[in-house]
Amino acid sequence: MKTAAIVPEEQDLILSNLSPGPAQKRLALFLVLFLLLVYVLITVGPFSDVRTKPVSAFVPAYAMAMFVCDSITAILLFTQYSVVRSRAILIIASGYLYTALVLIPWILTFPGVFTPGSLLGGMQSTSWLYFFQHAGLPLFVIGYALSKDADPGKRVPHGKLSASIAVSVALTVALVAAVAVFCIGGEAMLPQVVLDSLHLGPLWPYVFAPVALLSVAALVVLWLRRRSVLDLWLMVVMCLYTIEIPLSYYPSPIRFSVGWYTVRVIGFISSSLVLIVLLYEIEALYTKLLRAVLAERRERMARLMTGDAVAATIAHEVKQPLTAMTTTASAGFRFLDRSSPNLERAKEAFEQIVADGHRAAAVVGSIRAMFRNDVRTRSVLDVNELIRETLVLESADLQRHRILVQAAPSDRLPEVEGDRVQLQQVLLNLITNAIDAMASRKEPRILSVSSEAYEGDGIIVSVADTGAGISTQDSEKIFNPLFTTKSDGMGMGLSICRAIIEAHHGRLWVSTNSPRGTVFQFTLRANRALSAGA
Amino acid sequence: MNDRPLGYRVAVVDDDQRILESLKNLLESADHAVRPFASATALLDSGCLPEIDCLISDIGMPGMDGFQLLRAVQAVRPELPVILITGHADLLNQMSPVGLGEYRLFKKPFDGEELLTAINDIGNGQVA
Repeated sequence: MKTAAIVPEEQDLILSNLSPGPAQKRLALFLVLFLLLVYVLITVGPFSDVRTKPVSAFVPAYAMAMFVCDSITAILLFTQYSVVRSRAILIIASGYLYTALVLIPWILTFPGVFTPGSLLGGMQSTSWLYFFQHAGLPLFVIGYALSKDADPGKRVPHGKLSASIAVSVALTVALVAAVAVFCIGGEAMLPQVVLDSLHLGPLWPYVFAPVALLSVAALVVLWLRRRSVLDLWLMVVMCLYTIEIPLSYYPSPIRFSVGWYTVRVIGFISSSLVLIVLLYEIEALYTKLLRAVLAERRERMARLMTGDAVAATIAHEVKQPLTAMTTTASAGFRFLDRSSPNLERAKEAFEQIVADGHRAAAVVGSIRAMFRNDVRTRSVLDVNELIRETLVLESADLQRHRILVQAAPSDRLPEVEGDRVQLQQVLLNLITNAIDAMASRKEPRILSVSSEAYEGDGIIVSVADTGAGISTQDSEKIFNPLFTTKSDGMGMGLSICRAIIEAHHGRLWVSTNSPRGTVFQFTLRANRALSAGA
Repeated sequence: MNDRPLGYRVAVVDDDQRILESLKNLLESADHAVRPFASATALLDSGCLPEIDCLISDIGMPGMDGFQLLRAVQAVRPELPVILITGHADLLNQMSPVGLGEYRLFKKPFDGEELLTAINDIGNGQVA
């Protein structure tokens, strides 16, 4: 499985490195306490007298469920290993594989499942296999805890990945086989811990105590080195392992007693815990990934639309003077191609053509100049400063049309990153539009430009006029490159304005001013989420 | 080409001043009488709709666009020949509204002679 190297910044996206949030920690604690309570209630509480019947179907069903849970957990952990390439994960993955595989000889030796006696081995085999299973995982956990903070430089190299997985699996299988052979074949030599197929013997606690201690030791080691989500839930599993052990024997050392059933259920819970956590985290990562991919796609679309909008606008803006030129040329030709040529009008026509040609060049030049400053040239901007400057640039026009300017900049504006030239073009365009809208209207003609903080880390700028206003059906049309014809052909188009603002991760929209007129508003984001490559 | 004795009264509507002027020049070079208007509403407000023989209009205009003007005109004078010109042929399919009568369409930049021929065809009673 070929995977890319993990950059240190991406570590926190790796499941086995994620820190658990406080909610998760509380959940883990709650689970442990709840099961402790159950343990107490069953041992000394009202449930200790409950009689339960042996259900013969329970054992195989239970074994199957555990096997599936542990196997899937092992597979997911092996997958984690192939991404992170840390030996610690390999160890714990093998631990779960071991736990799953040991169930096979266990179920085969359990009395009453396949035959009245034991299919394989003798009476002691089952319990001893249970000991070995319960001793196994804590040992693997200790191995995991001790090696998990190893130097990232000591990661397993890519080429050795599949080999290391194969070796681990083989070793684990061999270990299980050895344990199985020992417990089944050497059954006669094993100390007697069970009295018969239902009753556990007095030796049982003595054998099991060291096993319990192992889980406690694993818990302690993990606690000292705890960091990630995986560590947290492995600790819970170790707690459950520790609780299980006394519960198997007290209050009644009989199989199929309440205590016994409870132990099995707790066992199933501990088996599925890590699996559930892994699946949940995978789901969370998947959602994050999806969102990131969609955001990237949207950004790419916005970039394409910038190019598309520019192309459409240039095409349109250039077609206008070209059309005028060809039409005038036809007219000039016709004026000459008469029995008595009209030289006056032909001369006029030529003059017109020259003027239109210049106009076409100017249009292309202005759009080109605007976009020569690549989106990559971003700097920190003072938006109020920018607004002030733009108003100064337009002051001649504003005075000529006797427009009253109301500037309302906010004092506490977050700083924004952006392309100064482009944003000024946007402001220029909006203010010019406002002037045009009010030029032929009666007084009062008021242009108000304001800036405000927006949603915490952003800025919203509003340009409002008291012109004729825009009807609702036109309010989206105006952003279309189509409807940006202006009689002097220099209109850059609201489509480009919108594209610029969107490239700055903001939005540009229009609404009605009261009592009359139009308000254009755009937002800019202040945080460092603006990437240079946008 | 010879001078044409026919002179129609043509109304031209375009928000772009230069195109309006160039169309006026072209039509006058063919001895038509031209009434230019900078917007569709200007034409409708002027009240000269009953007097014209032909209408030429841009489609993409702020306010009332060419199609809306066409609808308004055909409500009053359904038989009036109309020529529409546009700079955005590729978006035309999205924009062509249904329920309009007949009209001729020219894409910018158009051939001046073709336009004049179309006007003459209209005048000669051929189908627009």
